[in-house]
Amino acid sequence: MKKYTLLICLLIVSGLGLVRAQENGETWFEQANAAYNAGRYDTAVILYEKVVDLGMESVPLYYNMGNAYYKKQDYPMAIYYYEKALKIDPSNEELQTNLAIANRAIVDKIEPVPESFIEKGWHNMRTWLSGNQWAWCSIIAFALFLAALLLFLRARRIGLRKLGFFTGLLFLILFGLSVVFALQLRQAAMTEDQAIIMTPTVNVKSSPSNASVDLFVLHEGTKVSILESADGWNKIRIANGSVGYLPEASMLPF
Amino acid sequence: MKRLVILFLMLSPLWLWAQDDPTLTVSAKKQVMVGERFQVVFSANADGRNFTAPSFEGFTVVGGPFTSTSSSIQMVNGSVTRTTTNSYTFALQAYKEGTFRVGPASLNVKGTKITSEPFDIKVVPDDGSHAAPSGGGASSGQSQAQQNTNDPQVSGKDLFLRVVPSKKSAYVGEQVVLTYKLYTKVPVSSLSVVKAPSYAGFWTKDISDNTGGTLRQSSEYINGIEYTSAEIQKVVVAPQRAGKLTLDPMVIECIAQIRRENNRQRSMDPFEEFFNDPFFNRNITNVKKELTSNSFVLEVKSLPEANKPASFAGAVGNYNFKSDIDMTELKTNEAFTLTYTVSGTGNIELLQMPEPVFPPDFEVYDPKITTSTDVTANGLSGTKKAEYLVIPRRAGSFTVPAVEFSFFNPSNGAYQTLSSKPYEIQVEKGRDDEGGGIYASNQEDIKYLGNDIRHIMTGDPRLRPQRSAFFGSSAYYVALLALLLAFILLLILLKNREKMEKDTAATRNRKADKVARGRLKRAAQFLKEKDQDKFYVEMSQALWGYIADKLGIERSKLSMDTVSETMKEKSVPDELTQQFVDTLNSCEFARFAPGSAEEKMDDLYQRGIEVISKAEKVL
Repeated sequence: MKKYTLLICLLIVSGLGLVRAQENGETWFEQANAAYNAGRYDTAVILYEKVVDLGMESVPLYYNMGNAYYKKQDYPMAIYYYEKALKIDPSNEELQTNLAIANRAIVDKIEPVPESFIEKGWHNMRTWLSGNQWAWCSIIAFALFLAALLLFLRARRIGLRKLGFFTGLLFLILFGLSVVFALQLRQAAMTEDQAIIMTPTVNVKSSPSNASVDLFVLHEGTKVSILESADGWNKIRIANGSVGYLPEASMLPF
Repeated sequence: MKRLVILFLMLSPLWLWAQDDPTLTVSAKKQVMVGERFQVVFSANADGRNFTAPSFEGFTVVGGPFTSTSSSIQMVNGSVTRTTTNSYTFALQAYKEGTFRVGPASLNVKGTKITSEPFDIKVVPDDGSHAAPSGGGASSGQSQAQQNTNDPQVSGKDLFLRVVPSKKSAYVGEQVVLTYKLYTKVPVSSLSVVKAPSYAGFWTKDISDNTGGTLRQSSEYINGIEYTSAEIQKVVVAPQRAGKLTLDPMVIECIAQIRRENNRQRSMDPFEEFFNDPFFNRNITNVKKELTSNSFVLEVKSLPEANKPASFAGAVGNYNFKSDIDMTELKTNEAFTLTYTVSGTGNIELLQMPEPVFPPDFEVYDPKITTSTDVTANGLSGTKKAEYLVIPRRAGSFTVPAVEFSFFNPSNGAYQTLSSKPYEIQVEKGRDDEGGGIYASNQEDIKYLGNDIRHIMTGDPRLRPQRSAFFGSSAYYVALLALLLAFILLLILLKNREKMEKDTAATRNRKADKVARGRLKRAAQFLKEKDQDKFYVEMSQALWGYIADKLGIERSKLSMDTVSETMKEKSVPDELTQQFVDTLNSCEFARFAPGSAEEKMDDLYQRGIEVISKAEKVL
């Protein structure tokens, strides 16, 4: 009997919690902002962390956390949160600016592999909008496509029907593109395929074992892509294309 | 060696020469220490010429050759022996360890060349304890009678060098005064520093008080023994890094003047005894002695990290900090002077002055920094001044913020921060600052003062559950589905409307004949009544209305042209079209040209009935 009461209590609490999580999160967010403005960055970080613990996320939250960590001079954590926010909204200019500044504060400077013209264009296009914005874009494109289709099917004058055909085609392409972009960004946001190095200095190994050859040295704050992971080791790639193995514990994936 | 004994013998008619073969012998020490001076003597028992000295490899020739000659004639049992000795003396000094061979020397005696035996000298390292033979013996004319072998020794208890630090442990940057003192019980003359300490890891400043060229002497008791002490050197050192830093010893050379007492009985020479009489002050031996100070380890503590102020720049000591400004109200392009002064005890020469931050519209010249130091018992003290000459270029109200100066006070082991006053500076527009002048234009580029991250985002955080994306959510699919449904609905609606429109056209078509006949009936009535106007109106309406309904032409677009065109489209025979158009034309003509005959009206009526019935068959 007692168990059930406890369960019911828990359910009620959790139900209330879900409703109130948002409100609590917003209050803590505001308090954290106030702490940040007052220069109490440690307090700000703790409060922001509480919002994250509620299971909430958003660009402003991660961005502000990044700022608070930056001010604490914990650059790897700052980069971690900026990158996390950037996954949600790659188009945010403030994020890009602060990430660039934070990246200047870390040890490793890696020349990225130059992308081909098409890849670059593709990536640039994708970063115009956030994932959600692309989703909305696809809906609008779909609506316009249907309207154009209607025009094509039902217009009496031949000119209007031609207009309907071509604009319809255009909106269909736009729809397809935005669906692909939204899908890719969602995929990126859902999987933890990147990480920030958190250990001050770490040797990248040639195979997933401590006895293997040291390939190169990475320092905290460097971003890596996780290609595979098994047995506590991650196969990683850095921006210049070098590949190696690092222990899982040396990084924080996002 | 320089002994000369001559025996005179009177009236000897027979001189018997008993002379050995001429030889060249050498005498020298077999073993010497590095830095030791010693003599090498080549002796020949005959007169000769062209003495050739060997090259003394491994040694420095300090003096020589000094030549001396002695001769003696002996007469024993009637035989007379005459002995001549020519000696060539070199003063050498060994400068490195090892065994060195001294080659043969040669001398020409009556046409034959005699040579000496080569020999080895071993040079051993200097153990530091030996008293180098003083510059007596070999060194030139002021030579004295003392020899290496019977030099008196000066014990380390009688004469030694010590370094006295002001403290045994210090913080990094803290001043420590080192005093090098010579303790002696014997008179000492001509001091010279052979090797100064290197002071690795220290900042140093010599603060020896050498005014007047005399050393400060005093009496000190060490273990109950009275010594005369003299300060040889006084140095302020400030360690630059933490750890146990070793200070090298200092090495000095001095000449101790020692009374020779024990030498007396050894001297068998009456002349020597005579000359060494106290009246001649010959019983003082000058002994050259090398003294090495003790080396000691200074324990250097690093400055505590806790509570280290941000403005701390390495100053250690006890300081005062103040600032001064000569005016706070001025006009543009006038200059004012801002002075920051640090004074106190500590390493004032290494001190870094805090730098104020001036408003960007101020032109600031590099500060003039003046330092004055005094030597006190505790080390250095003094004053450091930084004078800034500042010229405001823009009118307005500016603030030069307070400047902080921090230092570590080793006496209480804590950091202290002193702050200057902030200054409010009122700058009025000067006469020169009206366009022109120094500045052609008041425009200037924006000055970027710093680089920082952008500020945080405030307002609605737009929180949402983690890992939720609009794309792929049910809401997204619902939205797409709703759009699709709306599209289908719209499509059906449009189709229906079109159908309805078509339906109305069909009705009109069906009812056209009926309507036309009704109108024609009324026209017939007007014809009977001979009401021309109404008849034509009715006829015209009957014809136009019929053809419009029949062909599905809207009333607004109705005209002769559209009628004939549409009829052609619907493949109405040309003659019928012509007939219909003619009838319409004549109707319209008659309508706007009144006064026509009754027969004409009748004829038109008949023609109207005819074309309508004809058209009814075709359409």
